[in-house]
Amino acid sequence: MTSTNTNNQNNVDESFSNTEPKRVKVYVLENNEWKDNGTGFCTGEIRDVEEGDEITKSAYLVVSSEDDQKETLLRSKVEGNIEYQRQEETLIVWKDLNGNDIALSFEESIGCDTLCEFIIQVQRHIENSISLISVKSSDNGIGSVHEIVAGPVILPSTDKDQNTDTLYDALKIVNENSIYDYMKNETIEFILQSSYINLLIDHFHRAEKGKMIKDLFLLSTIIKTLILYNQRDIIELMVDDEHIMGIIGILEYDTEFPNLKANHREYLKLNGPCFKEVIPLENKDLELVVKKYFRLKFLKDVVLVRFLDDNNLNSFMDIILDLKTCIIDWLQTDPFLDKIMNIFSTDDDSSKKRDAIRLLHQYVGMSKDLDPIDKTKFYRTLVRKGLFNVLSYAFSQEKDSNLRILATDLIITIIEHDILLIHNIQNEKTKDTAIDDNFPPASDAITDDMKLLSILSTILLSDKSPGLMEQVVQALSTLLHPDGCLAGTDGEFSNFSSISSINGFDVNDSDNSYGMDGIFNSIDRDNNETEANKQLKIYFNKFYSQIAPFLFKPLMPKANIDCSELDDFLLIHLLKLISFIATEHTRLISRKFILENGILKTLSQLIGPTHILQLRLTAVRCFKNILNLNDKYYHRYIISNNLVDPIFELLKDNLFEDNLATSCILDLLNIVSLNCTLDSGKENDQNAKHNLTEKSKSLNKAKNNFTILNKHIIGKYGSIIKELSSFPFIREMFEFDRITNEIEKELDIETDIDRISPNDTDTNKSDATTENCKRSYSELETSENSNSNEDVSKFELDQHVVTS
Amino acid sequence: MELEKTIRLLKEGKHLSEERVYDICLKSQELLITEGNVTHVDTPVTICGDIHGQLHDLLTLFEKSGGVEKTRYVFLGDFVDRGFYSLESFLLLLCYKIRYPDRITLIRGNHETRQITKVYGFYDEVMRKYGNSNVWRYCCEVFDYLSLGAIINNRIFCVHGGLSPDVSTINEIKAIDRKQEVPHEGAMCDLLWSDPDDVDKWSLSPRGAGFLFGSNEVEEFLHTNGFELIARAHQLVMEGYKEMFDGGLVTVWSAPNYCYRCGNVAAVLKIDDQLERNYTIFDAVQPQDGVGNAIIPTKQPQMDYFL
Ligand SMILES: [Mn+2]
Repeated sequence: MTSTNTNNQNNVDESFSNTEPKRVKVYVLENNEWKDNGTGFCTGEIRDVEEGDEITKSAYLVVSSEDDQKETLLRSKVEGNIEYQRQEETLIVWKDLNGNDIALSFEESIGCDTLCEFIIQVQRHIENSISLISVKSSDNGIGSVHEIVAGPVILPSTDKDQNTDTLYDALKIVNENSIYDYMKNETIEFILQSSYINLLIDHFHRAEKGKMIKDLFLLSTIIKTLILYNQRDIIELMVDDEHIMGIIGILEYDTEFPNLKANHREYLKLNGPCFKEVIPLENKDLELVVKKYFRLKFLKDVVLVRFLDDNNLNSFMDIILDLKTCIIDWLQTDPFLDKIMNIFSTDDDSSKKRDAIRLLHQYVGMSKDLDPIDKTKFYRTLVRKGLFNVLSYAFSQEKDSNLRILATDLIITIIEHDILLIHNIQNEKTKDTAIDDNFPPASDAITDDMKLLSILSTILLSDKSPGLMEQVVQALSTLLHPDGCLAGTDGEFSNFSSISSINGFDVNDSDNSYGMDGIFNSIDRDNNETEANKQLKIYFNKFYSQIAPFLFKPLMPKANIDCSELDDFLLIHLLKLISFIATEHTRLISRKFILENGILKTLSQLIGPTHILQLRLTAVRCFKNILNLNDKYYHRYIISNNLVDPIFELLKDNLFEDNLATSCILDLLNIVSLNCTLDSGKENDQNAKHNLTEKSKSLNKAKNNFTILNKHIIGKYGSIIKELSSFPFIREMFEFDRITNEIEKELDIETDIDRISPNDTDTNKSDATTENCKRSYSELETSENSNSNEDVSKFELDQHVVTS
Repeated sequence: MELEKTIRLLKEGKHLSEERVYDICLKSQELLITEGNVTHVDTPVTICGDIHGQLHDLLTLFEKSGGVEKTRYVFLGDFVDRGFYSLESFLLLLCYKIRYPDRITLIRGNHETRQITKVYGFYDEVMRKYGNSNVWRYCCEVFDYLSLGAIINNRIFCVHGGLSPDVSTINEIKAIDRKQEVPHEGAMCDLLWSDPDDVDKWSLSPRGAGFLFGSNEVEEFLHTNGFELIARAHQLVMEGYKEMFDGGLVTVWSAPNYCYRCGNVAAVLKIDDQLERNYTIFDAVQPQDGVGNAIIPTKQPQMDYFL
């Protein structure tokens, strides 16, 4: 400060010079009344004062009259411990050292801003003891809010010799300073600029040695208070190499548990978190960031876990997320990742490969909550650099189930973020090779996406680890979910929220009757999507020709596999997948596959008593989901093959029990009952729900899949179901059955008449329907074995009985 | 016996092998699948509210209320999340269930789902303790089998959250296929999510799932089903329990000093043969390890880190 040129005021720091004149009214308090001393222009003035050899600065608030610039209305020195108050937007009020109360009322708030800024600068550089307080009326209008804008801040003692008293004072100070932003910021600045933390750590070591319990608790409380400042730089300072051990040492003492001491230091030193190096990490900056990341997590999850409130927790999470982003960014440019990937193309020993898988799993896990764009970038890099080699090692050569679980988890994370990532990069690769090596595009070879499905299917069918099986099913259903394959071709932002919610995907969704057909329609409307549409078809065709026959082989009667020898839990998984493809895939393809391979017949057998109840009920649910599709081909196939019979055997055995089996089957019957009226075009409004005449009216037109099913069920199992008549929907089932029978009798007569008048629209309609059926059955005929042909002819017989 | 050993290990907060956890979960499935959506329980019985992974407080609960060897219990759900020992707490209850099948009834809470546990701690806890999610998956599978409610002596309805506009009689609950992730709406969701409040009709819940219901709904439900009390949990009560609507509904909360910082006491409600209500209040006590040394409950740090 003293080095500035005293002769030329222009040389004073730009931000700290005389201010522009601002229009203002001056008031002075006399006899308890504010007296107007005139209007003028106010400037903040800096004067150099020579005192012997020393040149010091003084500051003044000066107002010169508007009428006569030479006349000075006010000249007040900014000095001592004067407290300036800025009241609302335009008023500055203070009492000078002579006891005069002075007020400046500015014309504009900008003028007031200028002079307040001047006072702040004076406080910083010339008169430390003055202060500026902002006073505003509070939101509710009662009382006022005071906020320190500038002023002297008391800071903890930096005396080398700390003791109980200095620590006690320091605790009081950091606590009080946390109330006002200004004081808090000054304190933060102090912590960062001084080596106060080191001072505390030094004293901690002395206190611990000397068993000064009081000091230890004070130190711990001071550190915690500073953590509550919620200031990133302070938190990062605490976890750097220099401070971390001291800080967690201090935090081992906790006033909440005065008789206990945690052993964080010992834990960090001995048991880990041990930093395992697969290959040397040469980038020391990165190493530091990674260490900081883990230390912060240790603080958050262990040392401070009971202490952090939501606000603190969020700032910890923010810092952690930031470090994660930084680490993941760095990984992609550092040769480190290439070296890791290379391990898998060498003969390095398998323990190194295992650690490399663990490492990749850790970093992919770390990436989970990053920004989607960052994730896409990282996963793409991983795939480009050879992630498939890693997976193929894990799935083909690695014997340890735990590592295959990690590898599956890793792949799930990536495909749940974006399946297309894997597809697109595969496409890129095929293109590249086609150009470079003049390779024929290998359209008949199994593509990487099918390879992955094939590997996963193999694991599911052969691995006995229940956890792995579940993960694989999750991966398969993600890979096979049509939504994932429909995202924009660049795959930046596909949304997988829907998939994560179907972990247990026998969720009974009653509104999925349109399945994939609806999705295709919406694509057709958009020409840009036709390419994606085409690719999707190719992808699923490949799945049904290459993978599905293998994956679902245990469910095919032709396979002659004795189901009783198979693991019931594997069958549960396969059944869930069948439910999934039946409800989520293009109806035409999945139905063809399911019916042609007689899978529903196996399903029906699985309801039988030789299997565990969990499996039997999963099979019932599978039927429930398929029936709920309201698809006439499924319905007729199921009815004509008597596939629901075992369900009612199961019901019979549990009829007087109250258990999950009865609930599960009751739910199925409820669905049948509801749909008997629902499907007839009549909405399920309150009227229809409670008024049977309304229902019978709608039934008049309705001879739908469910009324037929209802008739079948009541006809065959009415005596069993009657026992459940306490449920209203069961009583309705009987009523529907009665009405259906009546309608049929009427229709018998009607159709006879219809035959004579060919123009009748109803007949045309029913003819068209019959035609449809025939067409689809002939589809079945061409591919199904003779056994199913019998089914088909039987259908038509049924159909004949009903319609004519 | 193997089970006794497992119970001892769990009480001490010790690590169980994945295989052992799988066995427990499988046995539990087999037991729970035979239960109805609403199970019937006889008096005398002790009703317990949210536990939320506070293993040591769960041990205190058993100690203060007679213990599973002598007493029948209904737990109203929310066994997991928030606390640091979700896995041990839930498995301990399952082990007791296997050991004393008629002494323990477990009802599903809104935290017993895949989605919620991924956010509120149980999933992370398993990842920290095992390095993979298998054990979490096994437990989630059991969640799907938990019943949705219980009825004591045909007079007291026990449920985690509360009532649903879709449920006027108990029969309607029976026709739900409960083996699924808790849906975002409908009867099953409401039973686990709803709260009683000072409202005169069904109202939107600030939780975003379930409903708020008032004395009218409670009166009607009690009357229709011939009940005298709805016992539920789901909301923190500083005093441990709170009766509402002329004693027609009670909230029971059994996690003292919730989240290790809320400063509340906990309660369990004992119903005797005359259906008299007796509340036992208990506080958080200094947790101890297996050999009686005091410990500070904390999360287990992650295992190895790779550079
Ligand atoms: Mn709850």
